[in-house]
Amino acid sequence: MSGQENRKPVQEDSPTGIPDISMKNPVSADPRVCATSSGESIIRIDHLTKIFRDKNRTVTAVDDVTFDVKRGEIFGLLGPNGAGKSTLIRILTTLLAPTSGTACVDTYDISENPEQIRSIIGVCPQNSTLDVELTAYDNLEFYGKLVNIRDEILDERIYELLAMADLRDRAQAPVGTFSGGMKRKLEIVRAFIHHPLILFLDEPTIGLDPESRREVWHQITRLNDEKTTIILTTHYMDEAEKLCNRIAFVDKGKLISLDTLDNLKRLIPSGDIIEIGCGEITDPLISELSAIPQIISVAAKKQKIEVRARNGTQVMPVIYAIFEKFSVNMTSISIRAPSLEDVFIYLTGRKLDDGNNESAQPANGRRRGT
Amino acid sequence: MTMIRGAMAIFKRDFRKFLGNPFVLMFTLLMPIMYLVVFGNAMGGTITHVPVGVVQEGPPFNETPLFINGVVALRHFSQADNPPLFDVTVYTSEDNAKKALADAKISGVVVFPSEVSSDHAVRLYVDSSDYMTPTMIESGVRGVLQGLGAYNLVLVSRIYGDIKYIQFFGVGVIVMAIFMTTMMGGGIALIKDREMGIHEGYLVTPVKRTSIIVGMISSGTVRAFLAGLIIFIVGALITGVMIQSMEDFLLVLLVIFIASIGVTSLMVSIASRFSNQQEYASVTAFLNLILFMTSGAFYPTIGMPDWLRWITVINPEWYTVHALRSIILRGQGLAVIMPDLIALLIFSAFAILLGITTYRRTLE
Repeated sequence: MSGQENRKPVQEDSPTGIPDISMKNPVSADPRVCATSSGESIIRIDHLTKIFRDKNRTVTAVDDVTFDVKRGEIFGLLGPNGAGKSTLIRILTTLLAPTSGTACVDTYDISENPEQIRSIIGVCPQNSTLDVELTAYDNLEFYGKLVNIRDEILDERIYELLAMADLRDRAQAPVGTFSGGMKRKLEIVRAFIHHPLILFLDEPTIGLDPESRREVWHQITRLNDEKTTIILTTHYMDEAEKLCNRIAFVDKGKLISLDTLDNLKRLIPSGDIIEIGCGEITDPLISELSAIPQIISVAAKKQKIEVRARNGTQVMPVIYAIFEKFSVNMTSISIRAPSLEDVFIYLTGRKLDDGNNESAQPANGRRRGT
Repeated sequence: MTMIRGAMAIFKRDFRKFLGNPFVLMFTLLMPIMYLVVFGNAMGGTITHVPVGVVQEGPPFNETPLFINGVVALRHFSQADNPPLFDVTVYTSEDNAKKALADAKISGVVVFPSEVSSDHAVRLYVDSSDYMTPTMIESGVRGVLQGLGAYNLVLVSRIYGDIKYIQFFGVGVIVMAIFMTTMMGGGIALIKDREMGIHEGYLVTPVKRTSIIVGMISSGTVRAFLAGLIIFIVGALITGVMIQSMEDFLLVLLVIFIASIGVTSLMVSIASRFSNQQEYASVTAFLNLILFMTSGAFYPTIGMPDWLRWITVINPEWYTVHALRSIILRGQGLAVIMPDLIALLIFSAFAILLGITTYRRTLE
């Protein structure tokens, strides 16, 4: 992700920061590029940049991003609030035109064939757009008509989806009476009504309780089993760890890293983290521990020693032996692999949930947060 | 002490928000001022230049001294220092004069008797579908005759019967129903939907943009139409005005429909222009005031000062009220309301175009 110097000239968006979707992309590649080399990548993003201009400031929400999404995977876009995740999704779902760069969704170019793209994607936005006054059935029926599902199969399909979301018995109940998790599940299956090739989920479990989150995750996995590529944005690490085949870290509009969960964790040189609770901490104990070859660092904290080691499980018996030797009483011991959060902190130097990030988009009432 | 601190904090917060929206602030202050100006001028204005026809009874059409003096006196008749009360047109035959009255070109016809003698009555025909002018014409004519020393009997004939104010006003309420349902119900719902991202949700589906707009305008039109129809029926029951024929009923529906589609499209364009509910509400309240006041629903527009009467020329509500009153109170047909219909069609076409363009802009 370099390329600051070879970035294409950016074009001016409208002064209100509201971009013009109909605007032709001046650097848009030949549309045939998308049509020809589809292969195993369902989405190909090439040097995509989105700049919002305001009277007061210019915000680069997406900064020269290039990556591919593979067919059939669950792809996670992970980053703090305001990282540019939603902007990227909005570009891929044809709601925004990029300032520069191109992207192909299946065999279509986002700037050239937005209408074809709309018929092969399903989108579940961050904020609920269900009609709470209407029943679950009516909500699905309405959406089914928008995405042009034939009347003969619509009814059957609606019940299929309701069953998928375990909401069959609530078909005729107004959505306003549903819990947060039920609404979310309904909204996710709604986006799936026309068997889209790609499902975009923007923060699918934001604001849900743990039980509902698990249900939503289950739902997402089931949809993925139906050969749907799923792209989800989240700022929850556990969600990404649980669901995603590959994870892209995004921060301040830039793609920081993209790989599988295991490979991302290997990026951290400090290995596993072993925490030992003990009564007394002596210098000889510390120095003896530090002498173990696999151990990278030893830090003494209050009533606790934090050890970082490669192949932590193999080091554990050695640590036991040392404690025996010094006859120090061990009150607890735990080992954990570095979490995605640790990876993110390592890569950016900041916490993922850090709320103090500057919003990547201008303060504009019409655009919701990332 | 803590109570005061809390109260102060809330006061400051509320006040800051109040001042933070100068647009709403301006309209809130503009409202009562407009009420004063519009209401004051519309209701309290002096009625002048009432068009009346004068005709000499015949045949033979020998102009009697009473007729000649009467015409002159009517032309110069005025209340205090105001401009003349009547615009007098002299007709050569009684039939022509009555036809002009039936077509609402004039508000009254004075028929002078063929012989100068106090036992021949002066006949007076007035357009009683208007609320103010009949009594003004009657008192004017009596005053003129008295001034001339002619003590003829005056026979007053109200050509549409006795129309009460509630019947006169009842027609205007139909227009109000159309406007209110659309502006208050429809507009706010539209802005809310947009705020919730529902319209954006439409855009990620293959649905055509044209379909979105057509769907929205048609649902709003049907809603406004039903509101107008219900108020028309309920109003007819309350005020006791009955439609004379099926043809008249269909004409009423036509007028309500054209007005509904125009007002709905106008609402779509205003609601697209303002993303803030408060701003939208203050603009529509203002529009509602000025359009309704100058529609002639309350009070004949003839009493308004010229500058206000200009607003009636571009006011779709005026044409709607006029057309509905022609059909409902006067039983007049398509021929009379044609100019109103044309004006409403022009307004609606313009509003639809405006609605489509402004709404499209919010999608892009």
